[in-house]
Amino acid sequence: MRIPIVLKVNGKEHSIEVKPNEILLNVLRDKLHLIGVKYGCGIGECGACTVILNGRAILSCQTLAVSAAGREITTIEGLVPEGNKELHPLQEAFIEEGAVQCGFCTPGMILSAKALVDKNPDPSNSAIKEAIRGNLCRCTGYINIIKAIKTGAEKIRERSKR
Amino acid sequence: MSNKKYHFLGKDFPRKDGIARVTGREVYPSDIYLTGMLHGRILRSPYPHARIKSIDFSEALSLGAVCLSFKNTPQKHFNLRQVSVPRATYKDWQVLTDHMRQVGDPFGAVAAETEELAARAAGAVKVEWEMLPSYMTIEQALAARKDLIHEKVYLEDREITIKSNIACTREVAEGDVDKGFKEADVIVENEFSTPRVYHCQLEPRSCVCRPEPDGGITLWPTTQALHNTRILIGDIFDIPLNKLNVVRITGGGHFGSGIHTNPVVLITVALALKSGKPVRIVQSREEDMYDHCRYPSRYTLKIGAKKDGTLVAGEMKASVDIGSHHIQALSYLGVLAGWWHSLYRMPNLKYEGVAVYTNKVPTCAMQGYGAPQVTFGVETTMNMLAERLGIDPIEIRIKNYVGLGEIFWGQGPTVRSLIHSDGVKELLHRGAELIGWKDRPDPKTQTGRFRKGIGMARGFHTSGTGAPVPGEVKDFTTAQVKVNEDGSIDILTALMDHGGGTLDAAAKLVAEEFGVPFEKVGISPADTRSTGYDVCTHATRGVYCGGGAVLEVAREAKKVLLEYASRILDAPVGSLKTKPDFKLGQGIIYVEGMPEKHITLAKAAQTAMNKDWGTAIAAGSIRKVNCPPAYTTYFVEVEVDMQTGRVEIKRVAAGSDAGVVINPTLARGQLHGGFYRGAGYALVEDTQYDEKTGNLRCKGLLTNYKMLGPEDLPDPEDFQVFFADTYEPTGPMGAKGIGEAALNPVPAAIALAIQNATGIYFTRLPILPETILKAVKEGRDHV
Ligand code: FES
Ligand code: FES
Repeated sequence: MRIPIVLKVNGKEHSIEVKPNEILLNVLRDKLHLIGVKYGCGIGECGACTVILNGRAILSCQTLAVSAAGREITTIEGLVPEGNKELHPLQEAFIEEGAVQCGFCTPGMILSAKALVDKNPDPSNSAIKEAIRGNLCRCTGYINIIKAIKTGAEKIRERSKR
Repeated sequence: MSNKKYHFLGKDFPRKDGIARVTGREVYPSDIYLTGMLHGRILRSPYPHARIKSIDFSEALSLGAVCLSFKNTPQKHFNLRQVSVPRATYKDWQVLTDHMRQVGDPFGAVAAETEELAARAAGAVKVEWEMLPSYMTIEQALAARKDLIHEKVYLEDREITIKSNIACTREVAEGDVDKGFKEADVIVENEFSTPRVYHCQLEPRSCVCRPEPDGGITLWPTTQALHNTRILIGDIFDIPLNKLNVVRITGGGHFGSGIHTNPVVLITVALALKSGKPVRIVQSREEDMYDHCRYPSRYTLKIGAKKDGTLVAGEMKASVDIGSHHIQALSYLGVLAGWWHSLYRMPNLKYEGVAVYTNKVPTCAMQGYGAPQVTFGVETTMNMLAERLGIDPIEIRIKNYVGLGEIFWGQGPTVRSLIHSDGVKELLHRGAELIGWKDRPDPKTQTGRFRKGIGMARGFHTSGTGAPVPGEVKDFTTAQVKVNEDGSIDILTALMDHGGGTLDAAAKLVAEEFGVPFEKVGISPADTRSTGYDVCTHATRGVYCGGGAVLEVAREAKKVLLEYASRILDAPVGSLKTKPDFKLGQGIIYVEGMPEKHITLAKAAQTAMNKDWGTAIAAGSIRKVNCPPAYTTYFVEVEVDMQTGRVEIKRVAAGSDAGVVINPTLARGQLHGGFYRGAGYALVEDTQYDEKTGNLRCKGLLTNYKMLGPEDLPDPEDFQVFFADTYEPTGPMGAKGIGEAALNPVPAAIALAIQNATGIYFTRLPILPETILKAVKEGRDHV
């Protein structure tokens, strides 16, 4: 059985057909070719597949595609509007602070960070640690990631003043 | 050392692959999707030791799956790890076999048009098993006389009959230990053990393979070693190397798990060859956990010292449970001796190592390759000796460490070289100051529930495996450097960057040499068809050996360019200098003392092209004849809760002697990451087995396989990193390595901080809360 749904991803609507048990992660990667959504475990343990759904960071491997229908999904590819040459302040900060090593956790990590700073524009160390608890990074030891999220949040605050 | 004379070294620039990685556009092996591609599934043994009596694919075939078993794969024996020379390479592996040696051992595979269909087909394969006795511990394995895990293996091409599941042994001796121990005023002896840690690189090992119309194949594997993968697969499947292309593609973390060619790569190739279609296999996390893990260790260590703290003799006996296969246990046994011998001078020493097969996950290199294992025991012993002799732990280390002007052989007895730079004292003194070493608590007088402890350990890693005389390990890098017609430069090499910034470092060295802005230097995409051999990015060799090779080749290309410029400027080559002109965004070549006489790199390259002189280009294979020790020290403050046994890491002062530091922020990141993995190793990480079923106790789940999270680590403000002010004369512009050194002393430093808090020396990792509680309750000072 296939169900027609509309997935709103990064501001664009996609009319597709999915099976009732199809996982959002697979649909985003296989059907919409959004490879920035990473597969690290498929069972909700690593955070590599994190996307933002209606403002909340969620695990796309633990979400049925049908349940995401009609809701706003942001993947790393949609962090800055298409055609915009600039990076998002968090993306800039991740590069500047050395928060990117192999980069496999990076998309999910940045999206968890974005969901955090959208709600809490000046997060403390412990708020950041709490927000990225579900995002495993095996490379960096988290230190530069925490710094990057602080720097990114600061950049966002600066920009909103302008 | 001074970074002042450099334009780019020692300064931070945005990493070249940064934008791709923060925008989700970096492509990893698991991101390769090809038209007409099949999805593969590996069939794996549910039993730790068994033989397959029969296998029935009929249902899978009727579902339309391509099916593969040991019956249709080459039966050649090989070793997945190809960094050692053939005479030191044991071969016990086959693509697929009917003899299952661990839970998760592959015996076949299926491929189908969708992942779902492949999963269904895999589920439909029927197997009849013959059970064999399983050996889950070294003792069980050594006691076996029949039904061995391997009966026959090969050393190079010589057949070896395995006895009592012993994979190999190794002995090293220097001086006269008996005499040495007689001269000792104190002798300390203990048994140490370290766990089988899982790499847990974030991307599970994966591969995509496409058969090509000319009979060749193209591969996108998770690997650290492009050329070794190509050579191994060419040999097994009989594919000419000029038709076998392995593409360099970023891996989502390796930590050593890609030095050997992963079994999933071989199986993907076999499926692609059988089906004639592109095939993709992405392992599940559970499969990945049954695929590889760190070498564990268990060893007795006896060290004798004089009253003044001078070490006089040492004896070490190590047994290593290597699991179901050999991924170069021979060299592992060698480095165990090497790390030990090269930490501290020991005139009389005896080492015996034995590697034993068991029915567990095969063990391989993981960050440090035996160094964290050995450093843990040696550093603990140094503190015990210091305590017995009433000497400060830092003093006893300064007295005995192997440093400037001495010979060392960190990578095992066949890789010996001389030390030319040494920042150890500086690291120890600065670290001590930062952490407040003088004011560390006295474990004997501490009371109360929460106890503070400060611990320190030092260590090193070799920068690669180069030596004046080639030993058992291959070590060279091939590179090509060329100047483009707009004054930009391309670097082509099979060297890999696992995220630490290796290739950025190579680009900076080239920018510095040519005097062109960093942005003007590009790293070309690489594959095995377009590049010469590079042994692989491992052994902390990336910057020193790989970067060093790129730099030497760049110097050759520069010679060609300067020769062109000398014709244009009408000045002898010897008078020409280069420097970056940041306003122009170009490098310029000028006549020394006559700055008005100059030309941009772009103009020189264009003129050379238009006059048909050629391109300024060079290529070469370079072997480093040294592998300088990259030293590190860690000073750690912990707080131990004596009621729960919980250890909280409060502060860290990490010191690194990497010679001239090329990428400061990324280098600090290496120490953060090394500390994190080392702390997990010390406190929580281990893969344990259900001895009856042979299954991993964590059942392939990350949440059961415990790791530290961000909440378990100190805040960024409490994690200080500093670098020694040294210059490595044999290194590229003074640089040496850092990677593995960033982890090696960490478990020891944490164990010794816990000792400082509790008064108890822990000799087994991981040090779990329950272990601490038990030792406290029993009033032990040593467990
Ligand atoms: S892939 Fe979704 S949490 Fe790991
Ligand atoms: S950068 Fe590699 S997992 Fe985070």
